[in-house]
Amino acid sequence: MYASAWPSDAGGGAVAAGPVRQRAVGRALIAATGPAGATRPVRIAEGGSLRLRLPRTGAGWLEAVLINTAGGTACGDAYSIAARAQAGAHLVLTTPAAEKVYRSDGATATVDAELTLEAGSVLEWMPQETILYDAARLSRRFRVEMAGDCSLTMVEAVAFGRAAHGERMASGLLNDRWTIRRDGRLIYADALRLEGMIGDDLARPAIGGGAGAVATIVHVSPDAGGRLEGLRGLLETCSCECGASAWNGLIVARFAADGIGPLRRDLARVLSGFRGAALPRVWMS
Amino acid sequence: MGTERAARGARSSGPGEAGAIAAQALLPLMAWLSPSYPVGAFAYSHGLEWAVEAGDVRDEATLSAWLADLVARGAGRNDAILFAAAYRAAQAGDRPALEEINALALALAPSAELYLETAQQGRSFQDATLAAWPAAGLDALSGDVAYPVAVARAAAAHGLPLDQAAPAYVFGFVQNLVSAAVRLAPIGQTTGTRVLSALAPIVAEVAARALAQTLDDLGSATFRADLGSLRHETQYTRLFRS
Repeated sequence: MYASAWPSDAGGGAVAAGPVRQRAVGRALIAATGPAGATRPVRIAEGGSLRLRLPRTGAGWLEAVLINTAGGTACGDAYSIAARAQAGAHLVLTTPAAEKVYRSDGATATVDAELTLEAGSVLEWMPQETILYDAARLSRRFRVEMAGDCSLTMVEAVAFGRAAHGERMASGLLNDRWTIRRDGRLIYADALRLEGMIGDDLARPAIGGGAGAVATIVHVSPDAGGRLEGLRGLLETCSCECGASAWNGLIVARFAADGIGPLRRDLARVLSGFRGAALPRVWMS
Repeated sequence: MGTERAARGARSSGPGEAGAIAAQALLPLMAWLSPSYPVGAFAYSHGLEWAVEAGDVRDEATLSAWLADLVARGAGRNDAILFAAAYRAAQAGDRPALEEINALALALAPSAELYLETAQQGRSFQDATLAAWPAAGLDALSGDVAYPVAVARAAAAHGLPLDQAAPAYVFGFVQNLVSAAVRLAPIGQTTGTRVLSALAPIVAEVAARALAQTLDDLGSATFRADLGSLRHETQYTRLFRS
């Protein structure tokens, strides 16, 4: 059933010349079953540096916290994550803290996330932000297969440089690809590609307008269109530049901010308001 | 001397077969991508109206920079890549590949307004072209059609060379945005014309590169232009549908 979850190219790619670096490989797989209110793990697999923790939340959903025991992402690391919400289940995925992606000596770190939503399920992908150090190189793929009556919410926030250290990312690579298929049909694709002198690019109005952090929320559900006005109401309280749109049963919201601090505050408020429930506890620390 | 040169030119490319083919390629492209072709291009600004409102586009330099990024780092390069892929699929008669490329082109729209911009122009282009420029193998795609896919299919069906059709398409996109900018911003006709002329080499380069690229090369850096198209939806006064 999960044979295809691990593409053979995971961990592949050119190794930079010079001494061979020990690269981290991490795999995590979770399947959740049982209706909302009684969702439980039915299958868990961990490999390499990735671990899954399932804190008791007392909430109606199963919360899975993805932990990278490697303590950050270095060049050439390869991570694969597969999550499946079986019929009617409610699964929330998050991370315990911001994920740091360190300076690369040439190789690109990869993340491959595959999310599957069976009939009537709810899946929320809500990791905390990714912090790209200067000269970091990161390529990620998010692939979703969902049934038409499911509810999907995904958020991804990226900080360009360690704001706490006064650092701005000058160069590197960020290549994020999203594809969402609903009932087998491709309904949403996004390919963000920042490469080279990212710092200079982000200063340009059409690219970043000086932003030091950006975020995207995507929501797909049968009632997505009807939720746009509520989401826009939440966006009005934000300090960072943001906007939302709905079409074809999906909602997209984007955020651009000077730094990750204000972005996080806005995101936390918008997300908890939008989902009508508190965020996973790890978000609050 | 002028007459002499004209006469030489006429001898080498006038009634000759090569010249006739070149003109046959050029004329449909000029018709299809002219502002008078009934696709309703005048109604779309690709978010430029918001960029003017926000003060990001306010003069020649800021307009040039905004459009250069859209072309080289955003929708322009993606549409060129999609155009080339759709042209080749149509030429090969590979309908499933063409439909998958069309679905991808539509799915890449970052907002409701930019979805409308590509799907409505694509549909109108397909209707007008089937009625006025029919060709063997050119039929209606079912459902929504992305604009670059609609034009690429027509170009392939008419045997127009890809290396002319792709830059012409991207240049049409830029031309429409310059025209929108002249209506929106304190930018005069002469300035607009100068911006367009300065962008021509960038368009040519982006389109030429796209011919050697595949769908794996799709990618856009214009995050904030996309964000702007979201904000345009709630902009107080709007002349444009995108």
